[in-house]
Order: sequence, then structure tokens, then C-alpha cells
Amino acid sequence: MVFISQVVGKLVSDATGAVIGPVADLAAKQEDQALRLSGILLRGDQLRVGIIPAEAVGEISPIGISLSVPRTSLTTRPLQPDEVLLVEELLDKQVVDIDGLKVVKVNDLQLARANGTWQLVAVDVGLRGLLRRLGLEAPVTAILERLGRPLQEWLIPWQMVAALSGPPTALKLRVSRENLRKIHPADLAEIVEDLGREAQLEVMANLDDAVAADVLEETEPEVRASILKSLSPDRAADILEEMAPDEAADLIATLPEETAATLIAQMDQEKAATVRKLLQYPEDTAAGKMTPEYIALPEWFTAEDTIRYLREHAPPAEYLYYLYVTDAEGRLVGVLSLRTLITANPETPLRNLMDTEVIYLRDTDSADAAAGALAKYDLLAIPVVDAEGKLLGIVTIDDVMEILLEKYLPRLPARFHRIRRR
Amino acid sequence: MLRKIWSRRKILAFLAVMGPGIITANVDNDANGIAIYSIAGASFGYKLLWVLLLTTVALIVVQEMTARMGTVTGKGLSDLIREQFGVRATVFAMSTLLITNWANTVGDFAGIAGSLEIFGVSRYLSIPIAAVLIWLLVLRGRYHQVERAFLLASLMYITYIISAILAKPPWKHVFQEMLTPTFETNPAYLTMIIAVIGTTIAPWMQFYQQSSVVDKGLTTRDYPYARADTILGVLTTQVVAFFIIVACAATLFVEGISIQTAEDAAKALAPLAGRYASWLFAIGLLNAALFSVAIIPLSTAYSLCEAFGWEAGLDRTFKEAPVFYGLYTGMVATGAVVILIPGLSLIPVMVLSQALNGILLPVILVYMLRLTNNRRLMGNYTNSPLFNLITMVTVFMVGLSALLLVGISLVGMVKAAVVPIGLGNR
Repeated sequence: MVFISQVVGKLVSDATGAVIGPVADLAAKQEDQALRLSGILLRGDQLRVGIIPAEAVGEISPIGISLSVPRTSLTTRPLQPDEVLLVEELLDKQVVDIDGLKVVKVNDLQLARANGTWQLVAVDVGLRGLLRRLGLEAPVTAILERLGRPLQEWLIPWQMVAALSGPPTALKLRVSRENLRKIHPADLAEIVEDLGREAQLEVMANLDDAVAADVLEETEPEVRASILKSLSPDRAADILEEMAPDEAADLIATLPEETAATLIAQMDQEKAATVRKLLQYPEDTAAGKMTPEYIALPEWFTAEDTIRYLREHAPPAEYLYYLYVTDAEGRLVGVLSLRTLITANPETPLRNLMDTEVIYLRDTDSADAAAGALAKYDLLAIPVVDAEGKLLGIVTIDDVMEILLEKYLPRLPARFHRIRRR
Repeated sequence: MLRKIWSRRKILAFLAVMGPGIITANVDNDANGIAIYSIAGASFGYKLLWVLLLTTVALIVVQEMTARMGTVTGKGLSDLIREQFGVRATVFAMSTLLITNWANTVGDFAGIAGSLEIFGVSRYLSIPIAAVLIWLLVLRGRYHQVERAFLLASLMYITYIISAILAKPPWKHVFQEMLTPTFETNPAYLTMIIAVIGTTIAPWMQFYQQSSVVDKGLTTRDYPYARADTILGVLTTQVVAFFIIVACAATLFVEGISIQTAEDAAKALAPLAGRYASWLFAIGLLNAALFSVAIIPLSTAYSLCEAFGWEAGLDRTFKEAPVFYGLYTGMVATGAVVILIPGLSLIPVMVLSQALNGILLPVILVYMLRLTNNRRLMGNYTNSPLFNLITMVTVFMVGLSALLLVGISLVGMVKAAVVPIGLGNR
């Protein structure tokens, strides 16, 4: 096993022991799950045409690289498009630690021989790697060991790394896409915040619209605005369509007017109309926080009609906390729980089942009032109505959690425990 | 860009983007800056005003480059230095940055102590309170609140303009002096020019502004506004510097009073320009010092963590980002403690900081030149030849200044060491 910092600058010599030149960089190629060494770039080869193929490599060690063939029988070749240069494209760059869920800097790269070929086994992101680069590893570790506090290695196996910065290569596209899928969108959002713009856009390019929407919903407003501004309007609109309408509206509200207008124009008409409607409400009101998607049922529906309706539409869980009942004009007249519905006689109309004592909010009430009402009455969702009593939408507990967290708990642990498929 | 009449929409867009440039430029006039400008005015009258014209151009060019790099790459400056120039270059840049920023922080705590002593508050009371308050404000406040507080604090610099007007300077003469460069070869005058350049263009500013631009999520679409923000920031800070020099020149220089620090200037103003001019000067100093003590340690912690890939950010917990919080807290705490050591002279610290500034800045500027001319990194946003020329001249001037400063202070130190043992000239 050897670190790349111990090899770069060292001499390459052929089978007869004749020196060929100092190492500038190592080329590698992604094969299956491994990044295999494919060649050696020598210093002074600016055009990258004299790559020594890996097949000619005998031993790699901190002393240098010795080839298994004599110089005369060596055939060099130009750098191939599917090869990456390890120092140039990985060293000192940001990568994502898939296992630890954070963005780290590559301090060094560890190579090892397996089944006869050299491959990249781990990235060093610890202090030890930094010290090695500075030529201080030996003295500092010796001192710390004497003090009884040995310096730990901090290596991340290459399989647990997503490399994102730099020009996109076939290698990165394939490896990153698979690795990013293993991360929960909410965790990925935290990671995206720490990446440079190029890498942020690459993460987005690697995600389906729906996952990208989940990720964007969880990122800081500044970051998502910058991402949306940098994506093509087409793709940005596709992602917005996948978001909950209230989240999409909140996001669009933070964008410059021109960008917002372009994006809404690109969106599917129905979604765009909903978003436009939501954008009319000030952000800090109950209406500004509400979801315009809810279950409203006519009062003449029977319990059986209702169950059939729900089965057909299969709405997302957060809209099923309560079933709201409206009259012919769309005014809110009552509410019932799933429990009441299921235990009721199938023929009974909703008007006889529903609770007419409904706690509701006006669209003009403050967002804080919405949070207060949910907490006070122990509700999971609360309806919002306009001046005429017409049902406009619902504020759910997760919308309120966000208001409260932002206000009272700006600092949370970035990572929580999660059982993950390896 | 600025010449066009802005439509309402453009103004709104500008207001959303505004901040990084204006805040950075205003922190530039920190307690150290105010001290230098005051001494410049008191010692040489209006003779150094012309230097401000040059530093304005240089500062606009340099800060514009950082704003541009931030909008194009979405990465901080220390990140880019690490990625493009490797570990050794980064360690050098970061360790000098840490030392100069620490010295700046010490100078700013001195400013807090000095300005409040004018109002009769002991430093043993003011410094601990200020340190804890700032530490809490930055750690507990939300970024937007903190930024807004800082923007408001920038308005406090108006006190210097009022102070200068109260001092009734001969305006015609002032502007004549500003437009006619005078050059003297005596060491005091040269040292002063060097100090003015060094205090105006400081390395932390590039790191801080670029990180703020990135934090605000600004992209190339916002670039014209980010540029306007930079220019506006530099112009306001230089106007303030102008008025500080004028205020001291019109009073202290005319009366032949020499000063060592900014609080000397505030005190000396009282009999000459009235108690209010003196108070305004002290309040301005206090504000500047507080403002910078809040920003410089934080910016240092961010730059270092970014360069070495350690977790950073006020939204992280202490356990997740121990190095980040440790650096920030350590800088604030040690900076405050140093001020409380009785009988400790700050002048060596200041000279050291100036010299390191002068050594680090040319290096950073060369890195910036290479980064902003890198087409792979900057795409269509690489430097224009004029920008390259101005930056190279700045690198040369700053480098030369640093060498001169080190030379002059070495000679001074040798003299100071030699005189007491009786070997000096009688």
C-alpha cells in the first residue's frame, strides 16, 4: 500500500534500473466497482501524450516506481478520454463521504495492489494526510505517540466516496449517480449546501425530478435560489412541478421577479395556476403557509361514497388527517375523522356524521396563530377559509414544525441516525 | 452599469444582492484603519490624501475580482487556492492569514477599550462585556439578522463626516492637495504611505467578501449587482477615510499635536472642534471596532475550515464543527485577554500585523490573478488586461511597501536598542 503523495515527484526507472523521469500524476480508469491504475504521467509531458501504460508497472513504493520492462520495449500512449488523472482531479478537491454524510477535502489518496493490478482503495481526509503532504507526518506522529495520543488515520474507502467537482467524466457520472441514491434527500440537502456550484449542479443532474424536488425543499433558501437560477429553466420547472405547491410557491417567492416569471411560464398550467394563487398570500400568514391540496367532500356524500372516493384518489397521508365537508358554495361546514368514517353505517350521509364545531383559521391570520392553534387544540392539520367561509387549504403539522424550528432551534445536529442499505 | 438610470426592478434586485461588498469595505475602516488615517491626518495634514485615490482604484479592482470569482465558481477563495495550488501554498496562506487577522482583532479590541475610556468606562469592564456580547451575537443570531445589524452599523460612519465638517477645514485647499501627489523621502512619510496602503487593502477582505458572495447564493446573473455593491462599498469606505484624515488634519495638524492612537485623536479633538466632535469620533471608533471584532474572527474560522475541509458554519453544532467554533472562540478570547495585560505595548503587534499583511497580500493577489485568468475556472469571466495591469502594479507596490516597512522598523528597533546602552549618537 502506498499514498499518492509519496509517489508524485519520485523517479520512474525501467527494468534495467535506468531512470526515465519523475512522476507527475497517475491515470486511472473505472472498471466495475474499482478505480484501477491505468498509466503514469511524467513531469514535463504537458500534452499528456506519453502515458506509460499500467501493464508495464512493476512495483510502486515511496522510493519510486520501477517498471517490469526495459525502456526500449516501452510503448507510451496519449491520455484516454475515459481516464482520470488522480492528482489533478481528486487531490485537494471536495468529495462526499457517503457513509459519514458530509463533504470532505481529499488530503491524500491510498493505492494498493489487488489481484495483480493497482487500484485506488481509499481517500485520506484526516490530519495525517495533510501532514504527510507537508512532509511532517513522521515527526508529528512520533511526538503525539510519545504524548500517549496517537494520531488516527482517517481513510474513507473509495466505494463510499462520491467525487463531484471538476469536469464531468464518464467515471464520475456512473459512480456518483449510484452513490447519491443511497443518501436520504434531507441529508443530501445538507451536503449540497457545502458543495461548490459546479458540484451542486452535478448532484442535481444526477437526480430524478422527484428526488431533486425533495432535496431542494430541504436546502437553505440562498442555496436553492442559486441552484434554480443556474439550472436550465426547463429542468427547474420540472423540479418545481414535483414539489408540494406550497413549497414551490415559497421557493419561487425568494427568486428574482424575472427568474420567477420564466419558471412559472415553463411549468405545467394547472400547477402554475395553483402556485400563482398561493403567491398572492403574504408569506407570514396562515394562507401563506397552507397547502392547497386537501380532501373536501360534499355534505350529501354517504360514508360509502366517501370511502370509494378516497380509494380512487389515494391522496398523500398528510391530506388524510381530517376529512373536511363543504356545502354547495364550497363553504366549510364540518369535519370528520377517518375513524368516524370507517365505523359509520355505509348509508349515513356525511352531514349526519360530521362534527360541525370546526376550528379554523382565516387566510389573514398570522403563521404564528396557525402554529398556536395546532398546538393548543392538539391537531394535525387546520383548515384555512376566506372571508366568505370558503375552504382555501390546510396548514399541516409539518408546515408548522418548520416555522417553529426556524424560530427557536436554528441549530440542529446535521445528521441523525438512520438504518441504511449498504 | 451605475451610469444608467436604474429601473425599480433593478433597484430591488440590487437591494437583494447588496451586502457582501458594502460590509467588507466598511469593516475595512476598523479601529486599526481609523488609527492610521487619524495619525496620517495629524502628522501630515492633507498631504496624504492623494494616496487614497490610488488605493480606491486598487481596492475596487481587487474586490471586484473576488466578487466575480464568488459568483462564477460558487466557491470561497481559500477553497480555490487549495484546489488549484495545493497544500503547501494553502498552509502558508492560512497561517499568515490567521496571524494577521489575530493582530487585527487585538487592534480592534484596543479600539473598543480606547473609545470607551473616553466616556470613562474602564477597559477591565468594557472588554470582557464586549467580547462576550459579540461572541453571543454571532453564535446565537441568525445570519440575516447579523447581516442587517452590520449594514445598519455601516451608517454609523457618518459620524466621521460630521466630525470633519465640525472641524471647518479649508475645502478648496483640501481638494487641491488631494489632486496633487506630494512625495517626500523621509522615513516617517514613507512609513505613513505604506501604512495607509496596508490598512486599506487587507488580505482578509478578499476571503471574507468571496465567502459572503457564495453564502448569499449569488450567481453570474447577479454579477452586475455584486459588482455595483463592491464599487459602492469601496467608494463609501474611502470617503469615510477621506473625512477622518480631513478631520484630524484641520485640527490636530494645524495645532501641531501629534498622536499615537485613534483614541488620542478623539481626545485631542475636544478642545479644538468641540466636545461633540470628540464624542462622535469616539462613537465611530467604537462602532468600527465592534463591527470588525464580530466579523474578522468569524471570517478567519470560515476560511481556515474551508481550506482544510473541516466542517464549518453557524448552523452546525459545537460537536460537529469543533475546529470552527474553537478558532472563532479562541481568537475572540485571546484577542480580548491581550488587551487586559497591564503595561503591554500594542505597537509591536501592529507593526508585525502590518508587515505580515504586506507579505501575505502580494501572494494572495498573485493567486487571485492566476485564478481569475484561468479560463477553465472562470469561463467568459476572466480578467481584462487592464485589471491584470492594475493588480500587478498593486502587487508590486504592496510588496515594495512591505519590504520598506520591515526595513524601516528594523532600523528603528536597532536604534531603540542601541540608544539606551549609550552607543547611539548624542
